[in-house]
Amino acid sequence: MIFFQKTKKYWFVLGALVLTWVLLRHDAIIYQQPVGQVVHETARLTQKTTDEHGNTDKIYSQRLTIKLLNRNKTVTLSNQYADSQTVTHRYHVGDQLLLDGTGKLRILSLKRDATIGVLLVLLVSLLLLYVKWRATSWLLSSLIINIILFVLALVIDINVKNANVLLIFVILAVLVAFSSLALVLGRTLQMVVTLASTLLATLLAMILMLVSLKVTANEGVHFETMSYVTQVPTTLFIAQTIIGVLGAVMDESADIVAALFGMRREKIAHHFKDYWHAGMNVGRDIMGTLVNVLFMIFIAETMPMVFLMLRNGNNWPYILDQIMNLGILQTVVSGIGIVIAVPVTSALVALIVKHQQVVKS
Amino acid sequence: MNAIGLLVLILFILMIFVGGNQGLKVFFGLLINFIVIFILMILINWQFNPYVVTAVVSIVILAIAIYLGSDNQAVANTAFQTSLIVVAILMVIAVVAQHFGQFQGFSTENSEELEGLSLNVGLSFSHVAMVVMVISLLGAVAEAAMAIIADLNEVIDRTPDMTSNSLYAHSRIIGGQILGTAINTLFFGVLGANLPLLIWFIRLKYSLAMFVNAKVLMMEVVTMLLGMLGILLSIWVASWLVVRQFVKHKKVGIK
Repeated sequence: MIFFQKTKKYWFVLGALVLTWVLLRHDAIIYQQPVGQVVHETARLTQKTTDEHGNTDKIYSQRLTIKLLNRNKTVTLSNQYADSQTVTHRYHVGDQLLLDGTGKLRILSLKRDATIGVLLVLLVSLLLLYVKWRATSWLLSSLIINIILFVLALVIDINVKNANVLLIFVILAVLVAFSSLALVLGRTLQMVVTLASTLLATLLAMILMLVSLKVTANEGVHFETMSYVTQVPTTLFIAQTIIGVLGAVMDESADIVAALFGMRREKIAHHFKDYWHAGMNVGRDIMGTLVNVLFMIFIAETMPMVFLMLRNGNNWPYILDQIMNLGILQTVVSGIGIVIAVPVTSALVALIVKHQQVVKS
Repeated sequence: MNAIGLLVLILFILMIFVGGNQGLKVFFGLLINFIVIFILMILINWQFNPYVVTAVVSIVILAIAIYLGSDNQAVANTAFQTSLIVVAILMVIAVVAQHFGQFQGFSTENSEELEGLSLNVGLSFSHVAMVVMVISLLGAVAEAAMAIIADLNEVIDRTPDMTSNSLYAHSRIIGGQILGTAINTLFFGVLGANLPLLIWFIRLKYSLAMFVNAKVLMMEVVTMLLGMLGILLSIWVASWLVVRQFVKHKKVGIK
């Protein structure tokens, strides 16, 4: 009993996870299209393939008996998959599927909401356990506000004819930075300084990127290789990079400004130089790991395509040039933003603090 | 001159200007990690066991990111320890998530890029999905661990005679702050990496059902959620380790 008492919180988390899983496995009613669950499957090997690059793969034909969960019906569908599952998909008994079509149904997608839901609940409940209700609600509300702003920007971008994409996302970046910082720091001088240095550093990184692209006439940069492109890729890339670097720069600026304002409160520093050096010290320590955060995200993103290209007999120089090109560019530009934020923030805070002292005296 | 080459040069000069020696270390750390990721991809392409390769490469990447990123040996040691524990936990969660969510491979959205490529390549893309999930959260885990440990060590330095309870209370407050900014960093990083995909989904008027189930989009959501879990666990484990070390240290001091 004592064991249960002590670990009560964790049992709640477990309960929430199970509940989410069960609920989302039985939510077929709220879907408009047919949703089915695989109740029986048989697979047989139909072909062993060897492609022109010497890759061998096995192709199976699968017969799936699917019980529709929101229609009163059971159907059998056939499905082909290869062992590698690059674009084909193997379905298992118990998998829930989204189906589509009138008359003859076809498989649209695996139903993944339960998996995502459980992960989301795991994250939120652990957040609640660690930082308590108030801080969690602040954090989540800031994320939700940012998502809403983001969706708004996307909708404007898509629905307005000849929209100035760059302008939309620059405004988005300013708003998002403002809302995140205002929620964390409130309406203080500290918040204004952090916001100003965040925007300034991001702007400088973008200018450096654009100038470099101009000077070299985009040599070695292949915007046309961007995936999922539905509009001019160059501006899209710039918008993407602004958003990507914003969070990291905000993180860094907030740290530096917080440290320097702490010094001001404790009155241990007096000169521009003191603040400048202290700011550079704080920034120096965190810039490396921050660059790594974005680096890992951007590079991991390109991995599936890199593997496919490798298997298709492409050499590394070609893959670097065509597949990883934009990921590398985004990492480097973000890196520049993160590094440049250190002197920008240090100088800005030092100037403002110094100026205030002069005014006071 | 190549535009990326020029930008890399600018990054290098800025890192030296801002960080001096440490900046140089950070720059080479990035370079080495880039090479390590290459080796990872080559090994997986050669069909080595993906779990073993991912685990080993993760350890190497974390070691480089942490030890070449920080000047303080004590901070780096604890951060490395924390990251190992957290990444091990998350790797298990990633495998489970991949088992149920089946996020592998490409989708109809990619058909243009896939044109002319052989798709029956004999490499399990189910494993590739797991590798992508684990690699993309390494940076976030290391960053969160470093941030909280550095801050807590500073607190200990300033007030060495505090009780372990008050240190733990401090860790909660600092942890909450770091959590907020670190999650923001990750959130914007992932959004920034996926802007075209999101525009695609909205422009082509995907149904709500596809927004919460479609493979390509959900893969990104899972990556983000795992990263956020990583940040949270990292802060949790790190403060626990720091407090434990502090208590041990104090006992030795009394003797």
